[in-house]
Amino acid sequence: MTRSIVARPGAANAGLLRSETAVAVVVFFALALLPGVASGYVVYIVPQYLLYGMLAMSLALLWGFGGILSFGQAAFFALGAYAMGLAQHWDMAVNPAYVALLISIAVGGALAGVVGYFLFSAGVRDVYFVLVTLALSIMTEQITISQSDITGGYNGMFIPRMSLTFGDASLDLSDDVPMYYTILPLTIGIYALLRWVLASRFGKVLIGIRENEDRVLSLGFRTPLYKTAAFAISGAIAGLAGALYGTHASFVSPSLAGVLFSTQVVVWVAIGGRESLLGSLLGAVGVAALSNYLTAITPEYWQLVLGIVFVLVIMAFRGGVAGALGGLTAPRRPETESG
Amino acid sequence: MAELLRTAGLSKRFRGLIANDAIDFALQSGEVRCVIGPNGAGKTTFISMISGHQTPSAGRIFFRGRDVTGSSVTARAQMGIARKFQTPSVFDRLSLHANLELASLGKRSTAAERQTRITEVLDITRLAPFRHLPASVLSHGQRQWLEVGMLLANRAELLLLDEPTAGMTAEETHATALLIRRLADAHHLSVIIIEHDIAFIRDLKAPVTVLHLGRVLMSDSFDAVAENEQVRSVYLGQG
Repeated sequence: MTRSIVARPGAANAGLLRSETAVAVVVFFALALLPGVASGYVVYIVPQYLLYGMLAMSLALLWGFGGILSFGQAAFFALGAYAMGLAQHWDMAVNPAYVALLISIAVGGALAGVVGYFLFSAGVRDVYFVLVTLALSIMTEQITISQSDITGGYNGMFIPRMSLTFGDASLDLSDDVPMYYTILPLTIGIYALLRWVLASRFGKVLIGIRENEDRVLSLGFRTPLYKTAAFAISGAIAGLAGALYGTHASFVSPSLAGVLFSTQVVVWVAIGGRESLLGSLLGAVGVAALSNYLTAITPEYWQLVLGIVFVLVIMAFRGGVAGALGGLTAPRRPETESG
Repeated sequence: MAELLRTAGLSKRFRGLIANDAIDFALQSGEVRCVIGPNGAGKTTFISMISGHQTPSAGRIFFRGRDVTGSSVTARAQMGIARKFQTPSVFDRLSLHANLELASLGKRSTAAERQTRITEVLDITRLAPFRHLPASVLSHGQRQWLEVGMLLANRAELLLLDEPTAGMTAEETHATALLIRRLADAHHLSVIIIEHDIAFIRDLKAPVTVLHLGRVLMSDSFDAVAENEQVRSVYLGQG
């Protein structure tokens, strides 16, 4: 059971990547036009879903392409959000929010890098790695609760919306439209960055590790370093998404680092399709929107409904929605073995 | 011919069991050598120590005169020692081209050099028609050749093949012998092969080293080994 969660879904994803670019262009184009046609709440909430999507993509890199499942993404996300929250008290010559964004990337990347280096070098794999990342989330949640002088404890922390500054010019992101047009390009940028990473030598080796780590090791690649780098990139992106989330939501509390939220990230990616960055992004957007809708119409049962959706999707297609769609375009395997 | 590999007093103990007992072995550059022996003779242990997958209890391993006894699997792979596992170990969901490309990324090279190498390997292994298909559609024998091809794309110089013909049809077994012969003769690779299949060993026309109870029983030509009374008795279970 554990093996099937950690290891591999069905369809080969070569065809998936080829057709994905066209879909991505259409989706991002539609998102760019959305504030022109949609009302206030939609323009407010979609950037939040996109940040969840950024978080989901950070996990997709690790899990879908590296075969390494992490329940620790929420920890990096929360650290980023708290960094943004603390930045409001900083008095510095440059825009403190910019510094907070950089710190959130650095802290997420460094924490994941250090944890990953020791675990992967020691040969920690599969479910054992999952357990450690789960502990990472729980620890982060506990620290944010216990260090209440800094974090506000259970009460959380209010965060003002940041401003974009360019030299002397400044753009306040309190309004939702400028915020929307800040977060959308960043989301697209992260998507493009990850596509580039996956197409590189590093990405090819990472996919090889997912498929057969012993083989990659025996070909002369130091796989622990590749896995560490993947986890560090993943942590850095999760940290960035968290910092942006903090300033967008204007509030952060310990539950952001918790096990429940970490599990949700895994659910988004599993439903969307972990071997597709776009699938993971849209999985997060779709499931978060559905949760939001369900909380409004059935506050008692929304988690149950969501759970049923999750079970049905995973039973029907183990590669998630993107895996199922990709299976339609991927080259068919011959009916009989050739040779 | 220069000496490529040498082991001196190579031993491996698993708790009380002695799997390899002071094996002295030498392989010349460009040489193909078969290692045979009844089950439990220590054949897989022997090549696992050469590839770095197992640490010797005693003895040294020299590759090109350099002591590699303490080197990791990765370091040895980078030096050119490549291991083919007993069961095919390929990237099932990736295309053959992607399998070979990944292997070729192990050593510094330009994209053009890698492409040339991949095309060459696809030709040598006769797998070119399947280059865009996932490895999972290949027959068992073809998967074994693909894995050998990956070692070539990885620019290995010493191939360690653990029962490459296990589960193959007679036809595939014969083709494998020809493939290995080509690799040694036309591409100057050195190969150590663990085998059981007598027809295959005969096809290879290579010297044979016989292991028995962790020790080298004899090293000689196939004909000499096949006629040796001691080897016969070992294989018939009287040794």
